[in-house]
Amino acid sequence: MEAIKCEGLTKHFGSIAAVDNLNLVVGEGAIFGFLGPNGAGKTTTVRMLAGLSRPTRGRAWVLGEAVNPRSVSWRSRMGYLPEEPSFYNWMNGRQFLTYVGELFRMSAIENKKRCDELLEFAGLKEAASRKIGGYSKGMRQRLGLAQALINRPKVLFLDEPCSGLDPIGRREVLDTILRLKGQTTVFMSTHILSDVERICDVVGIIDRGRLVIEEGKDKLLERFAPPVFELHLEGDPQAVRRVLSSLPWVVKYEEEQHGAEVTLRIRTSDMAAAKRELPRIVADSGLGLLRYELVSPSLEDVFIELVGHKAEQ
Amino acid sequence: MTGFGVLLKKELREHLKTYKLLIVVAVFLFFGLGTPLMFHYLPSLMETTGEMKITVPDFTATDVVNEYFGTITQIGLLVVLLVAMGSVARERERGTAMMTLSKPVGHGAFVVSKLAALSIIFGLGIVLGAIACYFYTGILFGELDASSFLIANLLIGLFFLVCIAVTLMCSTLFRSQLAAGGLALVMLLGLWVFSLAGSLETYAPMGVIGWGQRVVAELGNSAWGSLGISLGLVAVCTVLAWQALLRREL
Repeated sequence: MEAIKCEGLTKHFGSIAAVDNLNLVVGEGAIFGFLGPNGAGKTTTVRMLAGLSRPTRGRAWVLGEAVNPRSVSWRSRMGYLPEEPSFYNWMNGRQFLTYVGELFRMSAIENKKRCDELLEFAGLKEAASRKIGGYSKGMRQRLGLAQALINRPKVLFLDEPCSGLDPIGRREVLDTILRLKGQTTVFMSTHILSDVERICDVVGIIDRGRLVIEEGKDKLLERFAPPVFELHLEGDPQAVRRVLSSLPWVVKYEEEQHGAEVTLRIRTSDMAAAKRELPRIVADSGLGLLRYELVSPSLEDVFIELVGHKAEQ
Repeated sequence: MTGFGVLLKKELREHLKTYKLLIVVAVFLFFGLGTPLMFHYLPSLMETTGEMKITVPDFTATDVVNEYFGTITQIGLLVVLLVAMGSVARERERGTAMMTLSKPVGHGAFVVSKLAALSIIFGLGIVLGAIACYFYTGILFGELDASSFLIANLLIGLFFLVCIAVTLMCSTLFRSQLAAGGLALVMLLGLWVFSLAGSLETYAPMGVIGWGQRVVAELGNSAWGSLGISLGLVAVCTVLAWQALLRREL
């Protein structure tokens, strides 16, 4: 079943199309990574899907219900974490979570229990009675994630959930998202490719407001980033270069020089031929072989291939 | 109006925690206590000013109360602007409106809870200021008719409700508090000028102040038109604020 769907979703700010004719379907229980460079339209899309921004054109559905700012019923099954979560600084962490729980009409007992759980999860138990105004950026981000989870949402929208977190905090957040797999549909916008690679099973890439591709992560890697042979050699690779340029199974060939060491990255159309012939070509060249490996592709390779410019890490 | 109760509770706590409640009550109490005292000691103060002889008329309880109403409506209007201009604008600017409105909360409830909370704190200020003014005036200038004074305060309350509704509506139109406050000031001054235009006073929202003062002075001349238009204006501003919030980017 579809948890999130949009048809022709478009958002214009003046003459600029922030999101242009977006068609997207996210299946129930999926962890969907919404990738794109800065300014690609990720946040605008998330806001439209969360009912916080009105599309110029097009429609969206969450859990089968049309996204409409006037309707509140679908929002009771949704969680949302903005890129920079904002709080009432005069409240403390527990008061804010209790307030959010009350907005979801949770009973006092249930609300208290859930707040305790989430404060523990967010590592804010000690700081629960401290004013939010005094929280660090990481603490605010964790509190933001906790409030998005308070109603055990069926669909969770996360806009850059790991921004501002230290490596441990980031790992904890990603682990938490992973634990939601199967129970909650997660729509996560980010530009951190390694996060998507680690937890997402479906990936959508957006660039300049347009969806470039939407596919399962593994299929995407298979399709756009086939394995690459990486050779680390010592010496002048002129002879190897000459041989490689004449071979029909070499699709792409890149060279990088680091002092006396040369790295050759070879993409091939015939894996078996490459496996068989590459060691012989190196041996014939008389160069020193420092390393020889078949490198698994990364999402960054796909991203660069599709978006055409270097992703931010 | 989903979520109204929770939002109202949060708004009231916010006014308490951020000292807005204290400031509003302090302003009304200051003028409620200060006006009768000032009128009582004014002749003595004038005598101590030196050579120049200034004759101060004998003040009545009605003079004192009408002065209190005149002062509190002018100063109170500025307090309304300062307290209410950021109600929605600041929440949009900081992003807290987005956090709240992503929950199962109606935009109408969001606006009306703010209107209700501001009305409650200003209502409390009016009540406490009125009690102080009534008792001090009674002690220093003789008793006032309680029912006339009560009616006049209800009319003053309606005037403040109009000011709050207009300011709140302006606050939904802008992300900047200053822009919201500026527009609200221009609109309220416009309404004030409209009320000065002779026969229009009985229909202008600000006409309820004059009606209140006439009630205390037992001069008759009701202004039901002003009352009706004031209530209508509150309703229109609230609906416009709600609709504007629905259409705005959060």
